[in-house]
This record gives sequence, structure tokens and C-alpha cells, in this order.
Amino acid sequence: MLRDIINKEMLDTISSPKFVFTFLLCTILILLSVYTGINSYRAELGEYNASIALNRKNLESQPSYGALAGLGVKVTKPPQVLSTIVSGIQEAVGRKASVNVAYDPSLVDSKYDSNPVFAVFGELDLSFIVKIVLSLLAILFTFDAVVGEKERGTLKLTLSNNVPRDRFILGKAIGSFASLLLPLIIPMVLGLIILTVYPDISLTGEDWLRIGIIFILFLLYISVFFMLGLFVSARTSRSSTSLLVLLFIWVTFVTVIPRAAVMAAGQIYPIPSVHEITAQKDAFLQEIQGLAPQKLNEWRQENPPQDTQEYQDKFKKFLEELQQDLTSKIDKKNAAIEEEYQAKRRKQEALATNLSRISPTSTLMFGAMSLGRTGIHEHERFLNSIKTYKPVFTKWVNAKMMRTLKLGSVEQPRPDISDMPVHQFEPESLNQSLAAALPDFAIMILLIILFFTGAFVSFLRYDVR
Amino acid sequence: MLQAIDLTKRYEDDLLALDKLSLEVKEGETFCLLGANGAGKTTTINLFLNFIEPTGGQVLINGIDVAQNPLEAKKYISYVSENVMLYGNFTARQNLNYFARLGGKRELKKEDYYMYMRNIGLTDNAFEMRVKNFSKGMRQKLGITIAIIKDAPNILLDEPTAGLDPKAAAEFIKIISGLRDSGKSIIMCTHDIFRAREIADRIGIMKAGRLVMSRTREEFLGDDLEQIYMDYMRETA
Repeated sequence: MLRDIINKEMLDTISSPKFVFTFLLCTILILLSVYTGINSYRAELGEYNASIALNRKNLESQPSYGALAGLGVKVTKPPQVLSTIVSGIQEAVGRKASVNVAYDPSLVDSKYDSNPVFAVFGELDLSFIVKIVLSLLAILFTFDAVVGEKERGTLKLTLSNNVPRDRFILGKAIGSFASLLLPLIIPMVLGLIILTVYPDISLTGEDWLRIGIIFILFLLYISVFFMLGLFVSARTSRSSTSLLVLLFIWVTFVTVIPRAAVMAAGQIYPIPSVHEITAQKDAFLQEIQGLAPQKLNEWRQENPPQDTQEYQDKFKKFLEELQQDLTSKIDKKNAAIEEEYQAKRRKQEALATNLSRISPTSTLMFGAMSLGRTGIHEHERFLNSIKTYKPVFTKWVNAKMMRTLKLGSVEQPRPDISDMPVHQFEPESLNQSLAAALPDFAIMILLIILFFTGAFVSFLRYDVR
Repeated sequence: MLQAIDLTKRYEDDLLALDKLSLEVKEGETFCLLGANGAGKTTTINLFLNFIEPTGGQVLINGIDVAQNPLEAKKYISYVSENVMLYGNFTARQNLNYFARLGGKRELKKEDYYMYMRNIGLTDNAFEMRVKNFSKGMRQKLGITIAIIKDAPNILLDEPTAGLDPKAAAEFIKIISGLRDSGKSIIMCTHDIFRAREIADRIGIMKAGRLVMSRTREEFLGDDLEQIYMDYMRETA
């Protein structure tokens, strides 16, 4: 009997115009999103490679270590291949950072910076399609699942037979969900095939695993809205009421809660603006820069100038130590300011994240971004890697600068960057990503169970008349 | 056999929809329930189908208490509503197949469904036609075909001829007669006194949840049934 109900549900859905519409819409949107994702990634990859080459050329062409220290190294964030599916915050945040002796590095030059028109409409990636379009389609599939049968009179006719209500609602849920999956899975598989055959797209075994887990997350998200639709449908006596209620909840989940959570967190845990932090760092930098001539004068008073090689070596040694000392002080102070700021920011971010997780849309985005390595965590990891790199680079360039300094000469030796420390970045491992996404999976499964139980219990008491 | 014993239904808003209704419909008997809207006819049907719980009394289908064992009781009953809608995207045969399987008939083939539909008076071109393109008369015929296929010993008909043209209604009544003659116990709720007179072995008039009159075919045959009905309606107005 359960199989009969499932078969009926699938046949009824597949033979309906809404199935054809959904299939076409999903195929067009999913394939389009994969195509735009691939193109976007290829462009990013091209820019990244060009940026690396240009940076090396710039470094090599510097006239001196002093100029190199001032210009610094341009570190560019490598594009993530999974941004073809989940673009995350990649487009909005900076991709490049200048690491030099003076300033604390920060990522600048986002895609939206270089072309603001992209920011107007955002990215059409697969996660966006799932988040907005597929959740709506899930609602369209289920808003009349129970109440529609009541309105058509088929519910009375069905339950006039010895059909247990629990089996009927279970059959409807399985059959309807299976027929919703068809227009989703076929285009998704096609999209993956395109991804594999496209040049420049190289997916590792771990990437495939991540894609598989992201797809499971997508299915869970769609299931949440599907079960919600079933639940509301089993709580209402008119399909128009059911649709209105569901649209209201959809808007709340998709747009209101995520934004409201961020606003609420901002009110509860306010943090200083980036400008305030920069001003603090700049003030300290000026203070330190003011110390340099003072220290130099003190040293000269203690060590009257002599025209000997020994004096010159001593002076260079002093300069190197002074430079290392001052930059170290700058770095320490910046790190302290930054740490305090980041601690406050993390607190605010954690509150915003946890509050917004009431909405399945937020859990989808957080989970997918973690797994796609395009989220806040990965961005912070990259930023931290640059901050770790900064003192290493500074120490190297200061040492080189002072050791090769030709006192009293305008001409300085050209820098040799063959032994320059290279910035290293280890992307998040799969285990780390999974650990980060685990709460999102748990919340979605919980919501599915909650809504299905609601639908189940409601239907057992449903007035079929 | 269908039985209602002191059957009472009072809703949460204290509305008394059915007041100690007692009736019994034997094998091969048709009981027509007449009455104005809100008289309690459909409530009676809903209680037989366990769509609502009685607040008093008992409903028995072939001796099985519906409230105690609804799924078992439903094996022995078929139901045809006032407006058989079915699944519009399904063909007539697909609808029959689905409801036949729900009714426990799992072994039927395409040709069997065609035979049933042919016997009920549906033309061959309707067999594989989507039901959303059916007229009301065709849908009612399909509804009774579902009941025929289930072959339950009891049939509940809720205003089955409402909205049908006279020819379709006459055809429908002929089918019901055939079912009655084959030994089915039938309760038919209707406003149509003319059709009730034609088919009923017994007629009951309901008013405000009570069965105010019950007469056998022999008792009402010589009477002006319409006048009796109007008199009862006036009396209690």
C-alpha cells in the first residue's frame, strides 16, 4: 500500500505542469550557475597567475632592499576551485595583501572593488540557486500536498479505504520528495559532468568528496522546506492559506533572520570600526618613527663618527638592530591592537552566526562555505597566514637591507630575492571543514525531523471533511 | 449490513449535529436519507467513514464497531461523494488502478478496468483520457466504478446525483439499483425525492440531527412523498 501511494504521488507530480516547469527552470539555472562559476574561476585563476608573475617581476626590479622593504611583497589569495559551486564571501573580500615593514597587512582589491556592478546583483552560483529558487520550488511542491487532496475530494475517497493515515502521509512525503529530486539531480549531475570536462578545472579526490557533502547539505536544505510545506499543508484547511503562510516563513528564513541576527549581534556586542583601529596603528607607527632619529642621535653621541671600516660595520649593526627593534615593536603593538579587535569581532561574529542559524538558509550558507573553503574561516586563515608571514619577511628584508647598506652612497645593491622567505598557506583540511559544518548539518536534520513530526502528528488529527 | 445505534454527534461549539440516530440497512436494501442542508445526512456518512468521532452511540459496519476498529470496518464499505474529483492528471484507468489497489484489488489488468468502465457506460475513448477533461456525469460514473471494483458489501452515497442532468441521473440510479439487487447495503443521502422514491427500499427524513420519519417502500409507495417531506419540514420549522 505504501508503494501504491508513493507511485501515485510520483506519477501525479510528474504528470503535472509544475513538474515540467520545475525541471526546465532547474536545468537552465543549475547549468547556467555552473557555467558562470567555471568562467568566474577561470578568470580568477588567470588573474592569480598574472598577479604572481607581476609581483615577482616587481620584486626583482626594485633598486634596493630599502625600496623592497617599503614596497613589500604582494600576496595573492589562490582561487578555490569549489567557488564554481559556492562562491561564498570570495567576491566580497579582498584577494591581495601588501606585506611590508611598516603597515599591518590587510586584504584588499575584491572583485566588487574592481567592478562594483557585480556587487549589485551578487553571484549566480549553485548555492544561490539552492538557497532561493529550489527552496521556493520545494514549497510549491508541498503547499497543497495535504490540503490540496482535501480540496479535490481525493483525501476522503482515499481514507474511505482501509488506508492508515500514517502510511498515507509517509507515502506522500516519500513520493513527492522523490519526484522533486528528479528535476534537481539530473541537472546537477549534468553540471558536474561539465565541471569535469572543462579545461583549467582540476578536481582532486578531496574536492569530489567535498562536492558530495555539499550536495548532501543542499538536499537537506531542500528537505527542510519540503517538510515545512508538508507540515503547513497538514495544518491548514485551504491551499491559499497554506501558500501564504509558507511564503511568509520563507521570506523570514531567507532574508529576515540572517540580516536581523547580524544587526542584533552588532547591537549586543559593538566593535570599533576599522578606521579607529587603523588610526590607533598609525598613531603608534608615527610615535615609533619619531623614536628613530632620537635613538640615532643618542648612538652618535655615544659613538663619535670615525672614518674606519670598523665604525661603519658597527653603525650598520646598530641600524639593523634598531630597525629590527622598531619593526618588532610595531608588529607587537599592531598584533595587540589587532588581537583585541579580533577578539571582539569574533564574539560578535559568533553571536551573529549562532543567532542566524535559527534559519536553515544561514545554516546552508555557513555549511556550504565551510565545505567549499570560501567562507569566513578560510578567509581568516589566509589573513592569519599573511600576518604570520609579515615578521618573517620583515626580519629577512631588514637584515638584507642593513647588511648590504652602502653608507654615504646613493647607489645601493639590487635585491636578490632567491632566498626570500615565501608565503605559505595551508588550506583548511576536510576534517576541519566538516567539524565547522557539523552544527549546520545537525540543525538541518533537527528541523527536518521537527517539521516531519509536525506534519505526521497534524495529519493523524487532520479533519478530512 | 450498516447499523447506527443511538448515534450522536455534538461539536465543540455545542452544535448538536446528530441526535440519537438509529437505523439498520440490511443486505440488498437501499436506505435513502432525505433532509434539508444541515439536517445531519453528511454527518451520518462521516461517522460511518470514521472521519469524525461520535460523541455517543455506535456505528457498525458488518458488525464491526467503526470507532473501535476503523481500518477493519473500512474494508467492508465503499463511498461515492457528491462531487467525485479524483486525480485530474491521471487517466480514468490510472485512477481506477490506484483506488482499486487501495481497496485491496491488486491483481486487475488494463482489460479488466476497461471492462468495468464499459459496463458502467463509459465510452472507450474515455478510458485513457485524463480525468480533468471529464464531465461531472463521467466522473460520477468513475466514482461508482471505484465502488464496484472494491466490491464492498456496503455503499455510502452522498448526494451522488446532485448536479447531474436527468439522463445521467437516471443512468446512475439504474447502476445503484443493480448494486442493490446484487446484495449491497446502500445508504444514499439526497435532496432528490424523485430519485429516492425510484430506488429506496426505505426512506428516512432527517431534521436537525434527528430521524423524524422512516417508512418502507410499501408504506410510502401510495403516498405523495413530496407532500410528506414538505409537511415534516413545515412542522419542525
